Amino acid sequence: MLRKIWVIAYKDLYITFTDRNLILIMIVTPLALASIIGLAFGGFIGGGGSDVPVQNIPVAVVNLDQGVEFGGSPLNQGQTFVDLLVPQGDPDPENVLHQLTNAVELGTAETARAGVNAGDYSAAIIIPAEFTASITTTQAQTALTPVQIEVYASPAAPVSANIIRSIVESFSNQIAMGSITVASTIGALTERATANPLFGLQFAAAAGGDGFNPDFSAAFSPDAALIRIEQQRVTGETAAFNPLVSFGSAQAVFFMMFTAMAGANNVMEERRAWTLQRQLVTPTPRMVLLLGKMVGTFISCVAQVIILILALTLVGSLIAGELQFIWGTNLFLLALVILCVSLAASGVAALVAGLVRTPEQGNTIGSIISILFGLFSGAFFSVEAVPGANVISRLTVNYWGVEAFNKLSQDQTDIGLNLVVLLILGVVFFSAGLFIFNRRLSV
Amino acid sequence: MQETLVQVRGLSKQFKRDNGETFFAVKDVTLEIRRGEIFSLLGPNGAGKTTTISMISGLLTPTQGDALIGGNSITKNPLAAKKMLGVVPQDIALYPTLSARQNLEFFGKMHGLGGKTLNQAVDEVLDLIDLGDREKDKVDNFSGGMKRRVNIGIGMLHKPQLIYMDEPTVGIDPQNRRRILDTVLRLRDELKMTVLYTSHLMEEVQEISDRVGIIDHGQMIALGTVGELIQKVGEEDRLILKVGEQPVAEPLLRRIESEVATATRAQYERREIANGDSGALAAAEGILTVYATRGRRALPDIIRLANETGVDILSVEVREPDLEAVFLHLTGRALRD
Repeated sequence: MLRKIWVIAYKDLYITFTDRNLILIMIVTPLALASIIGLAFGGFIGGGGSDVPVQNIPVAVVNLDQGVEFGGSPLNQGQTFVDLLVPQGDPDPENVLHQLTNAVELGTAETARAGVNAGDYSAAIIIPAEFTASITTTQAQTALTPVQIEVYASPAAPVSANIIRSIVESFSNQIAMGSITVASTIGALTERATANPLFGLQFAAAAGGDGFNPDFSAAFSPDAALIRIEQQRVTGETAAFNPLVSFGSAQAVFFMMFTAMAGANNVMEERRAWTLQRQLVTPTPRMVLLLGKMVGTFISCVAQVIILILALTLVGSLIAGELQFIWGTNLFLLALVILCVSLAASGVAALVAGLVRTPEQGNTIGSIISILFGLFSGAFFSVEAVPGANVISRLTVNYWGVEAFNKLSQDQTDIGLNLVVLLILGVVFFSAGLFIFNRRLSV
Repeated sequence: MQETLVQVRGLSKQFKRDNGETFFAVKDVTLEIRRGEIFSLLGPNGAGKTTTISMISGLLTPTQGDALIGGNSITKNPLAAKKMLGVVPQDIALYPTLSARQNLEFFGKMHGLGGKTLNQAVDEVLDLIDLGDREKDKVDNFSGGMKRRVNIGIGMLHKPQLIYMDEPTVGIDPQNRRRILDTVLRLRDELKMTVLYTSHLMEEVQEISDRVGIIDHGQMIALGTVGELIQKVGEEDRLILKVGEQPVAEPLLRRIESEVATATRAQYERREIANGDSGALAAAEGILTVYATRGRRALPDIIRLANETGVDILSVEVREPDLEAVFLHLTGRALRD
């Protein structure tokens, strides 16, 4: 049985890979695509360029910060951040952050996370209750403690999510820098007063008078060190976001879906040419026939993705001026993702092969599926703002594949769910395709 | 008595039209094919030959009935039945971008052949279909006849006990047709295969078949050796005399029947020939048909009687009893209609 599966797959692969035109398309298309993406986003990669071509990123901000009493007045750094992002009244057209984001303040973390899950927001920024207390030195707390702002991001919007994370990181750095400045200043004064009692007395006298009015809050003020959007360019976040990976992997999976659909269509073409029937009258179970066709399709898909990944790496390296492997360091997981996404695409192809009756139908339905999958997974443009698109995109092979590629490029290895979903999609679609294929042939 | 290789019992296939109406493409076909014979299914286009064969080869599921190949039911034990079967479809079912050898190897592997056995079988078949010198050429570059030969070669590659050939001579030149018919005869005579052959061409069926089943409107209307079938219409020749637009009066027909010793029946038919484009009547052609034993001997008397009654004979054709006549006798229609 395995031998026959391979015989069918090998025959299909031989026909495919000895077709000069097809090979040309398989190589030239990825190279052209990688070049276009490289040219379009060269600024991000090379460090040159322009602002992120994104605006109105939907963001939810939840400020749970309870603040502290500092120098006799309340201090709430969380609120400072809220004020920075959420416009009071109409958005300020001169405020780049207001143009970049469309931020709203919500009351609870649960509401914000649910909003992200539902696709209403690309990310939620959740500031914890102890935020100010942790990063402010007071008489009661003389040491700073680590604190974390949660950025709950939608995997469906990697670009937007990375920009938001970048803004939060910058803000946090600013606050941390201010806190450390204050803490170190107070520490230095205390140490000097301890060492020099005379200075201590002079300092105490000055502090008691009107002449000494330190404004430590300036250290935290965004006005003192503006958080400018220029600082949030993706340029500085090469480890977090690489457009060649994000857009390139989306295009790679998109093109791979077409390869898979061509495999599905090949079943119909063989039926028309009677070579399928000729195989059906051999002592070969129908499942073996379909498996053989899909193994051939699967290998073609793997080859297609690998070629595109190599092409994108080549273009990325040319732009960067040095050899750069942009897909992360975990090659084993990268290979697993390629295999799983190809398997899932082959499963979809098997389903299409079962459903359609003619090559023309196969062409039409296959193209529609490929384009819809690409559309909902953001292969052409961001669909984050489209209501419900985030949910629909999770039904596509593209979403889980592209997200896994993005995570791996950031050296995140939590792609277990992606692999499982892709495997399930592959098995379910293939089983459904086989069932229908069998019924269709049992006339 | 030869052993039975194929048993077909009450095979029927019902299809549904687009309007939801159902119809039987094949109805209650029963037949037996003996080991080592060439059995032909003869019938006009659309008679149900391919549907019958598709059920026997497991491509279509019968609505009723079953077919057993070597005792294996095609519906209950299809893989065992298919092992004994080789198929030559009407369409040229080949991969055009693969060579003749690659096509043969692929289908050989699908039939379970491999290694030296496969190589040897491919060499033998290439020799048999006379394409050994073109084995590495892409099938796409072959002529129609050469493609047909590869098409046939694939069917016989795994040396099946039963080889089914669906109108293998359709659309090819006389030279290649002759070569294919010779190959079919070699399959039976040299390779001892049983051949199930379908065609709508009476002449080739009559030439190669041991037994013939005549199928029309999905039903088997006659079955037997060519001789047995011809006996159904008697041993009479048909003399077909064209008389152009001249009318032939009834008295001439009666005189032929009474005065020509071997003539049993005479009939006159006037065929109107329509203009191809307009459909308007372009000409009329009269045909005088005389049924007679030893027809050639009766011919001088018939011509003499025609001259006596002022009828000029424009052409004469003598047809010996054949399957065409059998079909005409059974259905009232010509096989080519």
